Amino acid sequence: MRNINQIVFLRFIFILASQILVFNNIYILGVTPNIYLIFLLIFPINYNKSFFYLYIFFAGLLLDFFSNSYGIITFSILISSLLRPYFLSFSFGKFDIGKVRKTTDYIKDTSLYQKITYLFLMYFSHQFILYLIEVFSFERFYWIIEKTILSTIISIILSYILLLIFFKKNAR
Amino acid sequence: MRKIIDFLIKNVHKLTFSFLLLFSFFQVINKNYYQNSKFNFFSNSTINSIKESAQIFSEYFDLKKTNEKLIIENNFLKNLKSISADDEVSFKNIDTNFFFKAGKIISNSIKFSKNFITINKGLVDKVSIDDGVISDNGLIGIVNNTSSNFSTLISILNTDLNINAKIKNSNHFGSLNWSGESNEYINLYDIPKNANIKIGDTILSGGMSAVFPEDIPIGKIENFNLPNATNYYEIKVKLFEDIGSIKNIYIVKNNFKEEINNLEKLNEEY
Repeated sequence: MRNINQIVFLRFIFILASQILVFNNIYILGVTPNIYLIFLLIFPINYNKSFFYLYIFFAGLLLDFFSNSYGIITFSILISSLLRPYFLSFSFGKFDIGKVRKTTDYIKDTSLYQKITYLFLMYFSHQFILYLIEVFSFERFYWIIEKTILSTIISIILSYILLLIFFKKNAR
Repeated sequence: MRKIIDFLIKNVHKLTFSFLLLFSFFQVINKNYYQNSKFNFFSNSTINSIKESAQIFSEYFDLKKTNEKLIIENNFLKNLKSISADDEVSFKNIDTNFFFKAGKIISNSIKFSKNFITINKGLVDKVSIDDGVISDNGLIGIVNNTSSNFSTLISILNTDLNINAKIKNSNHFGSLNWSGESNEYINLYDIPKNANIKIGDTILSGGMSAVFPEDIPIGKIENFNLPNATNYYEIKVKLFEDIGSIKNIYIVKNNFKEEINNLEKLNEEY
């Protein structure tokens, strides 16, 4: 049994490396699958909040460096980290934050629909903010919606598969 | 004083969050108006050298394709004298007051509406802001930021960038702008109604700016339409170059750029 800090750090390295080296080079219908959000999705719930935000911030910053995007991923992933508790309680019900250590303890006995709802809410809000900030105007709203939906669908499928394969024990 | 410290301890998470959010927001603002900003976090040398070493891996898989491309280009250059003017688009009309330098792309993206590219040549190689970047069959972008060993470009696939272009046969000129939809197509605006255009015509770079030399091939007309109550065509152009997979590029430097800029500045004063 590893220490919770070690688990988080290993995830940080593994997920970011696979996004930067592999998934940033894949283009499906003009969008890349953004699997880096898995890091936020399965981040331990009962973790020091300041360190949680710092982890998320540095993850976003690294991703920004490697995709030449000037802070837009950092901004949108921080907003997503703020929204996460609300989406968690929306899809899985209310919880006592003192009792759960890992995300897996919390969503262990939930149905597939609940998990998909959680994934959808997180990905949709994240992608929407990402493209909105990227374009920085409402002029091309149709373009934003189109890209958001496309990348949400592709990312959900890929990240669900990855979650099943690699993080089954820790978070499902 | 005690109260302030108490307040800080109590709200440390919120304060961290707000600070980080503000920091990232200023980076976003910088991206949109960064010509004015001195502080740019993203043209950092250390990060770019990591990027460059990560690029070596992916470069290895493209060796075969790159070789084929170089053979074609080499062959073309060898035959340059025997090609007539009406044959395929060629480099031979390019002015000699432009200076070329070879470089490599180390990081690229085509997924956003405002895309940027990083290349491995910088101030040491005398790259400066507003230099053009081309490949053997197309335009790539314009340099917007330089550090000592690296520079970033505004990609041609960036909705903010307008580039002067002309139609090969008729010499009518207009401006190229990406619509953000597909990375294979780009739009050409402001070609007047009386221009005689047809599908398949070649689009070349126009010589109206000091950035790019004249007559560099860009693409072919895919289709066009004439919107109601206007006198200008909207033309969809298929790019010759696949911007997403390009590796080797040339930086173009206008030897007389300073002179041209000074002259234009004089005009503004009057």
